Amino acid sequence: MAEPCPAGHFHPKDAPDYESILQCMRCGFCLAVCPTYALTNRERSSPRGRAALARAVAEGNLEFTAAVRDESFFCLDCKACSTACPSGVRVGTIMEFCRSQAQVFHPPSLPAGMLRDFILKRMLPSPALLETSMLPARLYQRLGLQWVVRHLRINRFLPPTLAKMEGILPILTPPLRLEIPEMIPALGEKRGRVGFFLGCAMSLVFPEVSRQTARILSQQGFDVVTPREVKCCGAPHLAEGERETARRLARINIDLFLSLEVDFIVTDCAGCGCALKEYEELLEGPGDHERVGRFRAKIRDISEFLSEAGIRTEGLRPVPLTVTYHEPCHLVHGQGLSGPPRQVIRAIPGVELREMKESNWCCGMAGSFALKELETSRRILERKLAHVRATGADALVTANPGCHLQLAWGVRELGMKQSVLHIVELLGKALPQ
Amino acid sequence: MLNKTVIDHLRQKVGAGNVYHEREDLLVYGYDATPEIAGFPDVAVFPQNREGLQAALEVSRREGLAVTPRGAATGLSGGSTPFRGGMVLGLTRMNRIREIDEENLTMTAEAGVITVDLFNAAAEKGLFYPPDPGSQNVSTLGGNVAENAGGLRGLKYGVTRNYVMALSGFLYDGTEFHAGNKCVKDVAGYSLRDLLVGSEGTLGIITEVTVRLINPPQDKRTLLAYFRDIRTAGEAVSKIIAARIIPATLEIMDKTTINCVEDYARIGLPREMGALLLIEVDGHPAVVAEEAEGVRKILEEVRADVIRQAANTQEALQLAAARRTALSAVARVSPTTILEDTTVPRSRLAETFAEIERLSEKYGIRVATFGHAGDGNLHPTAVTDERNLEEVARVHAFFSDLYEKVLSMGGTVSGEHGIGIAKKGYLLRQFGEGGIGVMRRIKHAFDPDGRLNPGKIFLDEGVPAEMQTPGGTDG
Ligand SMILES: Cc1cc2nc3c(=O)[nH]c(=O)nc-3n(C[C@H](O)[C@H](O)[C@H](O)COP(=O)(O)OP(=O)(O)OC[C@H]3O[C@@H](n4cnc5c(N)ncnc54)[C@H](O)[C@@H]3O)c2cc1C
Ligand code: SF4
Ligand code: SF4
Repeated sequence: MAEPCPAGHFHPKDAPDYESILQCMRCGFCLAVCPTYALTNRERSSPRGRAALARAVAEGNLEFTAAVRDESFFCLDCKACSTACPSGVRVGTIMEFCRSQAQVFHPPSLPAGMLRDFILKRMLPSPALLETSMLPARLYQRLGLQWVVRHLRINRFLPPTLAKMEGILPILTPPLRLEIPEMIPALGEKRGRVGFFLGCAMSLVFPEVSRQTARILSQQGFDVVTPREVKCCGAPHLAEGERETARRLARINIDLFLSLEVDFIVTDCAGCGCALKEYEELLEGPGDHERVGRFRAKIRDISEFLSEAGIRTEGLRPVPLTVTYHEPCHLVHGQGLSGPPRQVIRAIPGVELREMKESNWCCGMAGSFALKELETSRRILERKLAHVRATGADALVTANPGCHLQLAWGVRELGMKQSVLHIVELLGKALPQ
Repeated sequence: MLNKTVIDHLRQKVGAGNVYHEREDLLVYGYDATPEIAGFPDVAVFPQNREGLQAALEVSRREGLAVTPRGAATGLSGGSTPFRGGMVLGLTRMNRIREIDEENLTMTAEAGVITVDLFNAAAEKGLFYPPDPGSQNVSTLGGNVAENAGGLRGLKYGVTRNYVMALSGFLYDGTEFHAGNKCVKDVAGYSLRDLLVGSEGTLGIITEVTVRLINPPQDKRTLLAYFRDIRTAGEAVSKIIAARIIPATLEIMDKTTINCVEDYARIGLPREMGALLLIEVDGHPAVVAEEAEGVRKILEEVRADVIRQAANTQEALQLAAARRTALSAVARVSPTTILEDTTVPRSRLAETFAEIERLSEKYGIRVATFGHAGDGNLHPTAVTDERNLEEVARVHAFFSDLYEKVLSMGGTVSGEHGIGIAKKGYLLRQFGEGGIGVMRRIKHAFDPDGRLNPGKIFLDEGVPAEMQTPGGTDG
């Protein structure tokens, strides 16, 4: 075989690393865990097939065709294949690069591109804009329209995507970012000082959850610093192939949190945690790696942090609930955290943890996938909910806003009995008032 | 490229969603897990039932297409790569378990069922389907039968062939065959069943298989032994067999393999050791205790550096799972892993290890060795980079020398992965023109026009070997 030029038919800027593609030896181990392959039984929608397509492009055997673009977006980036792959191939990441290539070879149509640019380059990087943009949604809810639409089942007539968007959004309240004190002092014997990375989705859609996170951290003996200037972690940008903006956001967040002089940086959003831990990779190339490394070393998911620090259980009240736990992809596959959330759940008196089958299988949300690939997403969700139902648990616990929205929607649609809780909500119930 | 009428016809007969002809699809139906080998089909068809499969074959005959059966494409000799283009015939959508017959202790399933699903279905009824290739979470029953796959339990429980009772399917010309039955004894005529097992998709397309089930062992115990020198490990294996102890599992990993597997699995394998043996004895509790003791004595006798017992079932399962990842884990080291499948009489193991060491030094290449030591079946795996043509040439020279030695010891060029494309030249060395001639005649009887999985097992006459098989390893 001839020595291929490094990028082949890829555009040299933000092309997937050729060596990382070659690392795939095609054993097929990943086929057993890939949700899109499980649904389609089509090799090109499997991790092995996706790696092979990327390889063909890199070696100049295939143009970056529309099919390659589609496959990169059809990938859930759930990273289950990375966990399964003994050779260390990360197909989800290769597909992230392909998504950025898609912007070069198949730019979106003008209006769609403008909307995309507005959302990714202006709205998400600026929390204030993001918050006002949610305003119409909030007004609409305040006016009770949501109630009418839901109860009269008018949404059955809306185009399906809108219907799902409408069904999936909970009642919105004011964003937490503006309300949370910038510093909440530790209660009891002080154990340290942490920065709280408050993610966009948490602040806007699940403010009550993140309020619990801050409360728990303080109750556990940590000063909690929540900077208002925090930016989006960049995960949506990476997912949509907008690497340049992601890098810009990363630099701002690194500067911001390093200036706070905190021992750790804690987040309750698995997606943010995963993105923050990948800043080093995102910012490869020239730059101040020592600072990035220092930042990286401080990042902790909330359950990772609590299980490392050791949960202070004195004074916890029993919570008589049977729960089952859905592992967010970005926690279990993205950060390799499977034990710590379970340790947190087991530390709560009165809680019984009943494991579901395939707890680490994607729920089908996968960023904007749930809105773009409605049918596939629904089928992945149904597989998940069948396992949830089989446990008979009272509550379904998870640890990521995307999963939370999707699961809560599914549970409602199917009329299931489970309440859906973020792990900190469960722990919050045990905290002394 | 096939013309649109043919594609449309196929879509109509087999279902539009079961026929692929776009370049992006065809590219990914060209490979299996074998390095250096890939084909490019004209069309890929995935029938959901026998009727669909018959229709696909009919089209192939009319168009004169080569047909290559494909399971999960985890094969390690290039068997399911469409070497001559034509049609890839995927069996993964024929994946129903038809029946578990608890009176006759058999299970009947379609060829596309995944190996581990067979195991689980049997286990649900309190029964046991032993064949467990490293690829069991992905490989198909049809692929296992076509390659006569072995596994980690091969030593005591045998290989796929030992469980196949009956097969049915189609020849290229559309003839339907049923070979074997649920009878424990059957000597009626030639054993077509035995010919088809291990035929690598060159004789017929298997659609349904009936396998034998047995009682699961009541008890098991897992031992681990670490050695500074891999030759001592080889000696231990030979001695265990000579002592007439037959563990279910007797697997070996060398230092490079241990380190790669540990990089992935992180279960605390001894990185500094030269080799480890993973040994599982199973059966009646009294026998298990006795055999475990016997194994331990031998390990002490040969002075294994560390001997320990897995703490619990979970650790035992973890160890077996880690061993199954060996080949893919070794691929961490460098982009291309060329693995072989040498098998020797078990008394010659230590000698074989010494030869692998000597030859890898001679050719200056890096080799990781692991395998089913108890079966005498080793997978010396060269870690290389297919872009480095000069090194790859040395790798092939290494294997060529190694096979010379293996054959001189009464060994075989393939214990379980088959000949496919990768080992056509070596097969000729092992059998000579006479043996190969008989095989060709068998092939001719089943597939006179040579359209079913062409280019596999046999070198084409009159074409230089190096154009037909990687490394051009002719006789
Ligand atoms: C990591 C790894 C570990 C492995 N470990 C082992 C091991 O321990 N033991 C072992 O023996 N092998 C092992 N293998 C090799 C491989 O998994 C086996 O050969 C397996 O049986 C192939 O099954 P498959 O479904 O992937 O078949 P494929 O690779 O798709 O096909 C294999 C051959 O069978 C033919 N074929 C497939 N289905 C049919 C059918 N229905 N009818 C007729 N012909 C058919 C194909 O044409 C081809 O020639 C391993 C492979 C990998 C990648
Ligand atoms: S991505 Fe990993 S697990 Fe999947 S085929 Fe490639 S090497 Fe095997
Ligand atoms: S990231 Fe998930 S969806 Fe994408 S290839 Fe891997 S397993 Fe499949």
